[in-house]
Amino acid sequence: MRAFASLLAISFALAAEGADAAPRRVASLNLCTDELVLMLGQPGQIVSVTHLAQSAAETPLWRRARRYARNDGSLLSVAPMRPDLVVSMGGGVRDRLRIAGRLGIRTLDLPFARSIADVEENVRRVAAALGRPRAGAALLSRIAALKAARPAAGADTIWIGGGGRTVSAQGLEAQWMALAGLRQRAMRGDRVSLQTLLARPPAVLLRSDYRQGQYSSGQRWLTHPAARQPSRARVIATDGRLWTCMGPLLVGEIVRLRDAR
Amino acid sequence: MRAALLLVALALAFAASILLPFGLLGSLDPDILWSLIVELRLPRALLALAYGATLGASGAAVQALFANPLASPDLTGTTSGAALGAVVTAYLFGFAAPVALSIGSVVGALGALALLLALAGPKAETATLLLSGLAISALAGALTTLALALAPSPFAFYDAYDWLMGSLIDRSLEQAAFAGLPAVLAIALLLRLGPALDRLSLGEEVAQSLGHDVTRLRLWVICLTALGVGACVAICGAIGFVGLVAPIFARRLTRGHPGRAILPAALVGALLLLVADLAVRLAPLGRTLPIGVVTALIGAPFFLWLVAHMRWRLAS
Amino acid sequence: MMLEASNLSLPGRLFDASIRIAEGELVCLVGPNGSGKTSLLHALAGIAGPSGEMRLDGIDPRTLGPARRPGFLTYLPATRDIAWPLVARDLIALGGGDASFAALELDRLLDRRVDTLSTGERSRVLIARALAPRPKLLLLDEPTANLDPLWQIRLMELVRAEIGRGGRAALIAIHDLDAASRYADRIIVMREGRIAAEGLDGPQVADIFGIERDGAEWRAVRAPADPRSSP
Repeated sequence: MRAFASLLAISFALAAEGADAAPRRVASLNLCTDELVLMLGQPGQIVSVTHLAQSAAETPLWRRARRYARNDGSLLSVAPMRPDLVVSMGGGVRDRLRIAGRLGIRTLDLPFARSIADVEENVRRVAAALGRPRAGAALLSRIAALKAARPAAGADTIWIGGGGRTVSAQGLEAQWMALAGLRQRAMRGDRVSLQTLLARPPAVLLRSDYRQGQYSSGQRWLTHPAARQPSRARVIATDGRLWTCMGPLLVGEIVRLRDAR
Repeated sequence: MRAALLLVALALAFAASILLPFGLLGSLDPDILWSLIVELRLPRALLALAYGATLGASGAAVQALFANPLASPDLTGTTSGAALGAVVTAYLFGFAAPVALSIGSVVGALGALALLLALAGPKAETATLLLSGLAISALAGALTTLALALAPSPFAFYDAYDWLMGSLIDRSLEQAAFAGLPAVLAIALLLRLGPALDRLSLGEEVAQSLGHDVTRLRLWVICLTALGVGACVAICGAIGFVGLVAPIFARRLTRGHPGRAILPAALVGALLLLVADLAVRLAPLGRTLPIGVVTALIGAPFFLWLVAHMRWRLAS
Repeated sequence: MMLEASNLSLPGRLFDASIRIAEGELVCLVGPNGSGKTSLLHALAGIAGPSGEMRLDGIDPRTLGPARRPGFLTYLPATRDIAWPLVARDLIALGGGDASFAALELDRLLDRRVDTLSTGERSRVLIARALAPRPKLLLLDEPTANLDPLWQIRLMELVRAEIGRGGRAALIAIHDLDAASRYADRIIVMREGRIAAEGLDGPQVADIFGIERDGAEWRAVRAPADPRSSP
C-alpha cells in the first residue's frame, strides 16, 4: 500500500511543473469552495466540483458547475481525475488532508468564515492559489464598496427560513445584513415563534425562499398568515441559496436589499 | 346528567385552550391580542376539537362495525395509512396544495381500511383483527419514513416525527377549516348510521332481517371514517389512542350500545385531545412533547385494561 | 293463505323453493345438515339479497324498512353470538319489541347484562328479542338449542300459544324429529337445497335421513352394500 502511494506521489510530482505554476486541474470538495473556485478560476483550470454545486436548489452558479465532473466531496472521488489542487473547507476529516499530502496533491483548506474579513481572506487565498490575482481584486473591491456605502441606521429585522429558523445577531449573516442597513434581532435559540411575529413584529421580515417548491413542514410553517405577512412588517424575499455559504455571491443581493429598504 | 357534565368539561377545556397560558395575554394591546387568539390559539383549539371528535366518532363506528372494542382507527392502521397517503402525495409527487394533501390522506385511509377488510374480513375474531391492523400500521409507518427519506427536500426527514406522532402546532385557521369541515360532515353522517349500527349488535343476519343493508352500512362507515380521519391527518399527522379510548367511555354512557355511542364518543374524543394539547403546551419541559406521545401515555393503560377485561370474549 | 312464497333461490344453497303457510299454522322445517333449512329461512327473512316472490298478508315484507318490519317478520339465527355486553332489556328492545314481554320468565334477568347470564338464560333473552315484537311470521332456526329439556317444551308451547292468537304463523327449523312431530301442524322435509317431502311418514324420509321408524323410536337404516367396496 505504501509503495503504491509513493509511486502515485512520484507520478504527481513529475506532472507538476513546480509549486509556483498556476494549477491546471483544480477540484473543489465543498459547496462554498465550489462557488469561490467557479467565480475566481478560469474554466480551463477546473476539473471537478461537488454534486451540490450542480443543483439549482443550492447555488445560482449551477449551470456553470455542470460543465465539470461531479464529486461527492471526498478525496476518493477526485483522486482518479489527478487534480493538482484540491480546495476544501473546514478541515473536515484531518486524514483527508494528510492523505492528499502523501499523494503529493496540493491542498488549500479554508476555514468557515465568521466575519466579512474572513470572507475577504478566503477570496484572497483562493485567488492566489488559482493564480488569478486580478479576479480576486475585482471581487474584493466590490465588497469594499459595499462596506463604504453601509447605511448608518439599521432597521429591526428578522431573517426567517423554514420552520421559524432564524440567524444569530452576531453571526456572519447579521454582518452582511448590516451592510444592507438591516439589523438582525437577537432571538433565543435562533428560532422565532409565530407568537413573536404576531406580538412583536419586526420592521422588516427577510424571508428565505430556499427550496420553496419542495414540500416540508418547515415550508408549510411559512404559509401561516403570521409568517407570511405579519402586520406592520415589510416583507422582503431573499434568495435562500446565497445564505448557505454567505460568500461573495451575496454582494449583489445585499445591494438589492439595501436599495429596496 | 353525565352528558351535561361532559359538555361542561368540553367547554371548559376549549376555553382553557384559548386563554392559557394567561400571563402572556395581559401584556399585549387589544388588536395584537385578538390576532394572537384568532390566528394561533383558535386554530389549535379547533383542530383539537375536530380531530378528537373525529377519532372518537369513527372509533365508535368502526368498533360497532367489526363488533370489536379493539377496532379503532389507529390500531387498524387507518391513521398510519392516511399519513402515508399524505406524505407520498406531497413529498414524492409534489402536490402540496392543501386539497391535494387532504385527498392523498383520504385515499391512504381508504386503502388501509380496504386492506383490513381484505385481510381480516368483516366478521374477524379479535386476534385476526389485531394482527392485521398491526401489520398494516407497521407497513404504513415504515413506508412513510421511507418516503420521507427519499423525498427531494432534505428537510423532509425531520418531518417524520410530526407525521407519525402528530402535531397541532402553528396551524392556520385555513388549515383548521380544511380539517374541520370534512370532519364535521363525516361525523354528522356517521351519527345517522347510529341506529343501524346498534342493530348490528344483534348479529349481521338479524340486522339484515330487520331491513338493514349491512354491505352498504359497511361501505358508508368506511368511507366516512376515511374522509374524517384523512382530512385531519393531512393537517395534523397521525394521533393514536383517542379512537380507542373515547368509545370505551362513551359506551359506558350508553349502556353498551355501540351505535348510540357515536355522539358521546365524539365529545369524549374532543375532550381527550384538548386535554392532551393543554398538557403539551403547559408542561414545564424544555422542549415540546409530540401530542401523540401524550395520548399514548393516557391511552396505553386503558388499552391494557381493555385487553385484560376482554378475556371473556377472547376465550369464547 | 297468509304466507305465499315461490322461486326462492340462493346460489349454491337453495334452488327454486316454494312454500305456503296458513294463518295459525306452526310449520317445522327438517332435513339433514346442509339441506337448506337455514337458507330457506334466510331467503324469507330477506338476508343475502332479494330472492323470488313473497307475500305475507299481501305485502312483501322484505321491502319494508326497520321501522315496520318487526311487525311482519322476525328471524332468530341458530348461532347465538352477542357482540356487546348489552343489558337484556335493551337487547330485546333493539329487535323492535317491548321488553315487558313476559312469557319467557325473564323479569329477574331484564336488568342484567347478557354476558353475565348463563347460556340458557342468554338464549331465552335472544328468543325474546324475536318474539317480543309479535310479528305475523316467526322464522326460528333451532330455537331449542342451548335450552334445558323443560324450556325446550315450554318454548314450543309458547310459540303454539302465540300464533294461536290469530293472524300469525311460525316456520321453525329443527333437528329434533320428535319435537317436530309433536308440535307441528305440518312438517316440510328438505334435501340438498330443495323441498323434498311433506310429513315424516313417506318412504323417502328414510332415504333422506338415513333413519327409519322402529315403533316409537328411530333407528339407523341398514346401509345398502357399497358397490365400490371389494366384492
